[in-house]
Amino acid sequence: MKNKIKIQRAIHDMTQADLADKIGVSRQTINAMEKNKYVPSTVLSLKIAKLFKQPVENIFFLEDED
Amino acid sequence: MKTNYLLPNKYKKFGWTLFLLGIISGIVLQISDGKRDLFDIGLINDFGYEFLDEIISVLIIIGGLLVGFTKEKIEDEFIFKLRNDSLVWAIILNYVILLITVIFIYEGNFFTVLIYNMFTPLIFFIIRFNFLKLKSNTDEE
Repeated sequence: MKNKIKIQRAIHDMTQADLADKIGVSRQTINAMEKNKYVPSTVLSLKIAKLFKQPVENIFFLEDED
Repeated sequence: MKTNYLLPNKYKKFGWTLFLLGIISGIVLQISDGKRDLFDIGLINDFGYEFLDEIISVLIIIGGLLVGFTKEKIEDEFIFKLRNDSLVWAIILNYVILLITVIFIYEGNFFTVLIYNMFTPLIFFIIRFNFLKLKSNTDEE
């Protein structure tokens, strides 16, 4: 799965730490997601989407191998 | 992230203290090989020395459990995944090593392997878990 967290973060002018703080995870978690090393749970994806006021599909995308 | 088997983070330091104390004294006990002069430091009397291996085992097991199964400062699903992955990794590595020693090591030496094997799953788990945490920490943008 791919995501546009980094882009959304840039749009909202947030650091990884800001975002982590707002949704109650560690900064490492945000970093791992942005590097596509970690696929977040549905709950976490929805939280991120809600924070950026976007539908989940605008931020998270399936890849061919998924 | 809700989990029902993890203790609060404040026990982690206490766990590390017990664990390292146990590991270090365990190594010293192994090296001293029954010669007790290394442990002649007032604190340990004859009675204490008699139970030294039991005490060391308890230190390693309780300390190890505390280190491995207390919450992180921020306990989230990513840490949960790292912990689970480390556990699987540790169990597989432990049994691969045990399998090799079952095939190639016999009698008295094998008994020594079994003694170490009481602690290795926990030790492998702690090493792997902390390695992954460190890696995700240094893996900056």
